[in-house]
Amino acid sequence: MGRTSEGATIVAASFLAAFGVALVNFAQGGSVDAQTGLTFLVFLLTFGTLYAAVRAFAPRATPLLIPPVVALVGLGFFEIYRLSPELAGLQRWWMVIAAGVASVVLLLLSKATTSVLRRYRNLILIVTVGLLLLPNLPSGWGFPLKGLEVNGSRLWIVLDLGFTEMQFQPAELAKLGMVIFFAAYLADHQKALREAHRRIGPIRLPEPRQLIPLVLAWGGSLFILVWQRDLGASLLMFAGFVLLLYAATGATGYLVAGGLMTLTGAAAATVLFDHVQRRITAWIAPFEHYQDEGFQIAQGIFALGTGSLSGAGPGLGRPDLIPNASTDFIFAAVGEEIGFAGTVAVLAIYALVVSVGLGISFRSRDTFRKLLAAGLTFVMAVQVFLIIGGVLRIVPLTGITLPFMSYGGSALVGNMVLIALLLRISHEEAA
Amino acid sequence: MNGPIRRVALGVFFCMSLLLVAVTWYQVVRADELRDDPRNPRPALSERGKERGLIVAMDGTVLARSVEDPETRSFVREYPEGQAFAHLVGYSSFLIGNSGLEAAYAGDLRSRRDLTISDLVAAILGTDLRPKSIEVTADPELQRAAQSILGGNRGAVVALDPSTGAVLASVSNPSFDPELLLGDDAANQWEMLLTEDGEPTRDRATLELYAPGSTFKTVVSAAALDTGTAGPGSTFDDPVEFQLPGSDATISNAWRGTCNDGNSATMLQAFVRSCNTIFADLAIQLGAADIGITAEALGFNQDIEYEWEVPESVWNTAELANDPAALGQSGIGERDVRATPLQMAMVAAAVANDGVAVRPYAVRRIFDADGETVEETEVSELGRAMTSETAVTLTQMMERVVTEGTGTRAAVPGVRVAGKTGTATGTGGFSNPWFIGFAPVDDPSIAIAVFIEGSAASGESAGGGSVAAPIASELIQVWLAS
Repeated sequence: MGRTSEGATIVAASFLAAFGVALVNFAQGGSVDAQTGLTFLVFLLTFGTLYAAVRAFAPRATPLLIPPVVALVGLGFFEIYRLSPELAGLQRWWMVIAAGVASVVLLLLSKATTSVLRRYRNLILIVTVGLLLLPNLPSGWGFPLKGLEVNGSRLWIVLDLGFTEMQFQPAELAKLGMVIFFAAYLADHQKALREAHRRIGPIRLPEPRQLIPLVLAWGGSLFILVWQRDLGASLLMFAGFVLLLYAATGATGYLVAGGLMTLTGAAAATVLFDHVQRRITAWIAPFEHYQDEGFQIAQGIFALGTGSLSGAGPGLGRPDLIPNASTDFIFAAVGEEIGFAGTVAVLAIYALVVSVGLGISFRSRDTFRKLLAAGLTFVMAVQVFLIIGGVLRIVPLTGITLPFMSYGGSALVGNMVLIALLLRISHEEAA
Repeated sequence: MNGPIRRVALGVFFCMSLLLVAVTWYQVVRADELRDDPRNPRPALSERGKERGLIVAMDGTVLARSVEDPETRSFVREYPEGQAFAHLVGYSSFLIGNSGLEAAYAGDLRSRRDLTISDLVAAILGTDLRPKSIEVTADPELQRAAQSILGGNRGAVVALDPSTGAVLASVSNPSFDPELLLGDDAANQWEMLLTEDGEPTRDRATLELYAPGSTFKTVVSAAALDTGTAGPGSTFDDPVEFQLPGSDATISNAWRGTCNDGNSATMLQAFVRSCNTIFADLAIQLGAADIGITAEALGFNQDIEYEWEVPESVWNTAELANDPAALGQSGIGERDVRATPLQMAMVAAAVANDGVAVRPYAVRRIFDADGETVEETEVSELGRAMTSETAVTLTQMMERVVTEGTGTRAAVPGVRVAGKTGTATGTGGFSNPWFIGFAPVDDPSIAIAVFIEGSAASGESAGGGSVAAPIASELIQVWLAS
């Protein structure tokens, strides 16, 4: 696929999003209104900008990445619109902002190339940790930047601009900073980490001192869990690090140790924290706790089952019965309205995005870029698995968003930047 | 480095295929089951304002119908019989979901005229899209009588046709007006019903398990007669208190005296007077396994196929086999023995039906908008629960209960009634009176179980004989008069 057909596919996918909005309107009011045209235009503007930025700043980047992302954003968008036209209106603004930020990232990296990220890895780490700590700022003080507690978790910051307030979830950007730092750190220390290990039977065990970074990452993610009660981000960051560590070294011992540490952390969290315990209960027996803990998961499953093969039709199901349908449970909402056909399509598109991301990593000759592409893809894949798996009861619900589909500005910005980074790497490696 | 990345990639795609398997599981394999789950409000929500089929009794009484509002052209569900049928017929609420027969036959009662692609295809292929209707076996007169006679009591009445298993009445009290749950404020109404005194939304007739008390002595007697362990004339020691083996506990009779003369008593005397001392002794002599064989043939420990999922009544053979003290207590229907009123009506019905247990059902047929029968329920036997001779002997024993024993107040002038009383230990010092029985003895047309939860009265006046038996008597009269 070349650049031109990429552009055509982007237009087609934008049309799909607008068509979804038209169907919702038709189902609910019987008429198709200006929202349809507006949606089409905003999609064209958003992804047209990104497309133009790629042509200008990363012309040799793979053409296979933006079209599936447009399709995912479109599938999520019509469902958000169906659940709340108001949120959809906000999401449209966030799309424009996200495309703008991603384009700026492409512009900046066109001069400096991704190697700048490796060079300033320690600065990035400091900024990332700072970002993660922001929500712990007091909520009540006079400074315009405040922390915010939502549903018992401290994940949000509020920027009070006087005329309006902006809310942001810094973990969505911190996620990228962490992956960049991990990739750079591992690229620098790869040799030492790979060679220093002992063999016990079939398992290669790292030297104790080589475990220090692993333990630090573990400590960091536990910190997020305890202080901010963000189960999802905590798990995501640790899993991303362990997978990348394994990718860099090939030492199975890290996977084993990381797995054990995750289980230990999870077990301890289950014993210590009510909110984790409730999630475990809801995971194991949602229907037995239908009236309280299990309600959300049970509703999600009812939504999927009722959607069946072809779905109720856009605007004709009742995904509004699921609490947090537009964020954590967007997958179930989509499954109710466009059915098994839709959910399989969503999974296939994610598989495509992940394959393209890993393909970029495989083809990279530079260690840092290879690890960065792999890390970004892993983190996205793990996030997709954790949240869809949570909805489908494969794992406990961790309360993270579904990349590109869930409502949420910070997530959209973070994930678009992630795509911009992958595009840039593919450009740099396509010599 | 591509090696490890490739291996992680394999893991990632393995996880994604897990997602595919899981989504197939919910959206394809279990889709119908999830859609029809009574807690899933979606089908009812999408049915809001649509026509649903009729639910009628065999005499033509309308139990549920959809009436079209000429202005909005949408349909509103009506339940003309109100409280009496609230648990059996149930409700179809767009907010709360479906219950009772409205839930069990939701697929037949719904209209298919809603232009989904599959319905459109079905219409082209000549499928009738109009809602179907169902005919219920319950007798409205008996049902209403049962509801009103339960009055302020919490409890249930289940009446069956002993030879077919057709439900003649299934009533739970207190009840509620199902039409309360149809409007926009259904969620509030539902909350109020949930917290209301007596928990009116619970179906005590088919969905709740209770200790059956002395009515369970019919099961123990059937096992004793079947195995030849004892007959009506077999004699037992007649102590004031029966010492449970391997335990300090004793079992005594309700009046704290001997069963007969303090020397010996027959099984018949023990049955007619409902002597706990002797039935505890008998149960231990019989053993848990032999009682279990009869109990299971009658429906205990079985997943009875009723109109909806009903809880299994419990006789725990494995646990009781090694615990004679517990077995003695279980022999009088206490301790861990549990049964639904529906199950105890099935016990009475099996005795009345020459020892053969029959599957209970409440819907006789499904018919289409032209009145043509689409599906008719076939009577199905669960199997022989006791020999014919045992059923005859047990019937004689049960008749003696009504003519001269604890159940005299179940008697109906001019009609031979057989039965057994029970007074199970309830919660908080209250007792739960029972009566099970059937009539007329020569050609039984009704088997009945009456259950009262937490009788307010105490002592002798709170027993099955004084509380439940008179209710059975009245209902049998209502039934035989119609």
